Amino acid sequence: MAAQTYALAAVMEDNYAVSFPFFGAERRGAPVMAFTRVDKDVIRIKTQIYEPDYVVVLDETLLETVDVLKGLKEDGMVVINTARRPDEVQLSREVNCATVDATSISLELLGRPITNTSMLGALARATGEVSMESIERAIMEKFGGKLGTEAGEKNARAARKAYQDLQVGMCRGGKDFVPRKEWLPTVQEMPLGGSIGALETEAGLVGIGSFVRNKTGDWRTFIPHVDHDKCIGCRMCWFYCPEGCITMEDQKAVIDFDYCKGCGICAQECPVDAISMERERR
Amino acid sequence: MSLNIKDLPDEHLFTPGHTACPGCAAPIVVRNLMKVFGKDTIVYAPANCLLVFGGTYPYIAWKVPYLHEAFENTGACISGVKRAVKKLGKDSLVVGIAGDGGTYDIGIQALSGAAERNEDVIYVCYDNEAYMNTGIQRSGSTPFGAATTTTPVGKKIPGKTQNKKNMAEIMRAHEIPYMATMSIAYPKDFLRKAEKARDTRGFRYLHVFSPCPTGWRHDPALSIEMGRRAVESGMWTLYEAEYGRITDIYKPKRKIPVKEYIRDQGRFRHFTEEMVAKLQEYADHKWKQMYGSLPEEKPE
Amino acid sequence: MVVTGDYSAAYGALICDVDVVAAYPITPQTFIVEDFSEFVADGLTDAEFVKVESEHSAMSACIAAQAAGARTFTATASQGLALMHEMLFVAAALHLPIVMPVVNRTLAAPIGIWCEYNDTMPERDTGWLQVYCETNQEVLDMVIQSYKIGEHRDVMLPVMPSMDAFILSHTVEPVHAPSTDEVADFLPRYQPQAILDTSNPMTIGSFAPPEYIQEIRYQSEVTMQKAREVIQQVNDDFAQTFGRDYHGLIEEYRTDDADVVLITMGTVTGTAREVVDDMRREGKKVGLVKLRFFRPFPLQELRRVAENVEAMGVYDRAMSFGSGGPAFIETRHALYGLDIPVVNFLAGLGGRDVVKEDVRLMFEKTLKAAKEGRAENETVWIGTRGVKP
Repeated sequence: MAAQTYALAAVMEDNYAVSFPFFGAERRGAPVMAFTRVDKDVIRIKTQIYEPDYVVVLDETLLETVDVLKGLKEDGMVVINTARRPDEVQLSREVNCATVDATSISLELLGRPITNTSMLGALARATGEVSMESIERAIMEKFGGKLGTEAGEKNARAARKAYQDLQVGMCRGGKDFVPRKEWLPTVQEMPLGGSIGALETEAGLVGIGSFVRNKTGDWRTFIPHVDHDKCIGCRMCWFYCPEGCITMEDQKAVIDFDYCKGCGICAQECPVDAISMERERR
Repeated sequence: MSLNIKDLPDEHLFTPGHTACPGCAAPIVVRNLMKVFGKDTIVYAPANCLLVFGGTYPYIAWKVPYLHEAFENTGACISGVKRAVKKLGKDSLVVGIAGDGGTYDIGIQALSGAAERNEDVIYVCYDNEAYMNTGIQRSGSTPFGAATTTTPVGKKIPGKTQNKKNMAEIMRAHEIPYMATMSIAYPKDFLRKAEKARDTRGFRYLHVFSPCPTGWRHDPALSIEMGRRAVESGMWTLYEAEYGRITDIYKPKRKIPVKEYIRDQGRFRHFTEEMVAKLQEYADHKWKQMYGSLPEEKPE
Repeated sequence: MVVTGDYSAAYGALICDVDVVAAYPITPQTFIVEDFSEFVADGLTDAEFVKVESEHSAMSACIAAQAAGARTFTATASQGLALMHEMLFVAAALHLPIVMPVVNRTLAAPIGIWCEYNDTMPERDTGWLQVYCETNQEVLDMVIQSYKIGEHRDVMLPVMPSMDAFILSHTVEPVHAPSTDEVADFLPRYQPQAILDTSNPMTIGSFAPPEYIQEIRYQSEVTMQKAREVIQQVNDDFAQTFGRDYHGLIEEYRTDDADVVLITMGTVTGTAREVVDDMRREGKKVGLVKLRFFRPFPLQELRRVAENVEAMGVYDRAMSFGSGGPAFIETRHALYGLDIPVVNFLAGLGGRDVVKEDVRLMFEKTLKAAKEGRAENETVWIGTRGVKP
């Protein structure tokens, strides 16, 4: 919805704009992509964007696993939600970089770590191509209309705060990315109709039991901490963890942070309050 | 035959790495059911959140044979698998896991057919009270007044205008060998019923109340708590029946007002006192239906 | 035995030793499910018969049973086939060689129970093989052949042998039935390429992103193309074993020195054979092509026939409104670049009887087109009140 809101703001300033998500089944907190094109003229191209002028990163954990600069133009800019300064961020190459701690802003002003509207303010400032006033109007129209005036105003305030707090500079380069191998079988290699068992491929295991490679720990904003002095080994958290990422070691709960999404159910349900949730600082 | 949490095996037949929203109750339901059902189980999932969060080709969270065909046919698909398994001389457990849309609405015909034929299968409905997979549209299971994307809170109409369909009673009326309503907020009850279903022959129907933080707009940490309050308020009742005769009903020690159940859920945020009263009336009616009379003491 | 087309289909399933049947009754397919129910009730087979509550469930259950390793069978007609539509794609894309006789019946509205091909024609893009039968013997033989073709490791696709409502389904005629043992020798046990089995778990039909689906579509095309050869091989094997030769994708009748040929499907073919003989006696050089398989479509075969004639007529028992009859559209595609007139004839819709005079008119119109080097009308509706043929 943020990408659409940016497009709306651009249109308010007499541009033509197109915005679309990567069409897929969205899950709250799961990595997704969205694209926006802005031009003075009518935009006819319908493809995804492969060489952007700006890349906005809402979730900084992606910086560790994905080369977010892939395809970014030489003079392009990356805008990142992080508490770090631009020169504290290391990416694959040195480019224009703007940072803002949108998660903190959202938690403070919206009470939830939903950073898309904050990042709109940051993007407006970073690009200078759309005014903050238009962004605010667009937020009021998109979010205020749907969630009510009060929610619209809160989101607009979050955007304004991110606009003000944005730090612009250069990131550091030189970070190596080993692209994750994907199994892309030819027609001949593809099992008929796609039916598969547990298949070892050069890209690792696919099929039955292979989803463990999907490390959902990246989704987390809050992190559980288990106090082993208090833990009585009752296994309630083990039973209730939606991820199934709690194991019992010596009768104590141990959390696998590769998968923990930080939902907080374990802390909520622990009968002896042995688990607490904290804002995660990565 | 009383299974405890501590008796469950460590091995997951539905693994981590799945992409359910944080706090989603469905993977809790599925993983723990599978621990009871065991490895000799074949699973069918129709179109639902589970289909999507359980794997995107070529990756999959299932460690047992797993089939998907379409949305409205869970009852038929599990019938087909089981008959083939039987004909080929095997005895694997065959389980279908559908959502409320796939059960109450589009899938009710195939479900009813399979139940009437007394197919030797387990049908699980995980009920999150709307079409969550497609973005929170109302279903026959959505409770009165709830805001969904197709029952939005408009200037004229505030949310859904009808009550939740009583699907569990429809299934009880099929007089199948075993049916039970469940909630993960009651683990012992949950496990006992799962085990009973596993060990019964013929058609078994398990209906699990499954809070959805995204669709209900509550704190993801409160998913279990929502399941608890639903039972304590009478919005959901835990019971079981054999051949249509109720054999056990769980009665909460105290009855909490519906207000306590709905208070932390964004989908009810727009409720007026009048709407609260109407939903309370529904809960009271259900309570009387299930327990005979309302508790005498005024709820605090 | 002297039996109906429906009985032939049911008997075919019996002697092919199917494991699971899931079916729902619909006129004029009802005898198939009734006859098979009797086989089960009399203990002639120990197949599992799932008496489902709809055709959608019939196909869903067949797909599921086939995915679990069983040889399956179902049958339907018209509205029932339309209700299955969604699932037909699933069966084909998962490469599950289900065999389903379809009794061609008009698809409402208005509701009717008689023959028309507007039920099966809309399913031609589902990935199923389609074959249209002329006699009850062919129905039985094609049920047997369908299993052998569909289950061939290079094909692994579902097959839909069709028969005309009432004209075959409810008409008795002599049918030679091979024994179960003879069929067992001809048709080996079904060897699934993927199976739901807890000793070696597999996932069948899971949610797939764009990176994978196009390759799976290409597989459907490759296997459908491979089916051409397999159909011929199975036809020849069958002819050798049982002495009945259907000639594969098409059958030609007196086309050798023909000036024009008419393409027909289903039972009209039998009537057209009579007309060809009559007209030959009158010295008119006419021939006939029985279009048996509609999928895969006999592109090369029809082109080869067309290269030696001056005009072609194509009979259709369904219309693709706004374009032409499906057989005509595809025939013209096969003939692209050949400079001969092709005339489309629509007749027998809604079950109206197609009589010898109708077929003779088709030949005469085609002969006229041959003589003039062009068709006066490309689409000719025969026997339609208020419409000049």
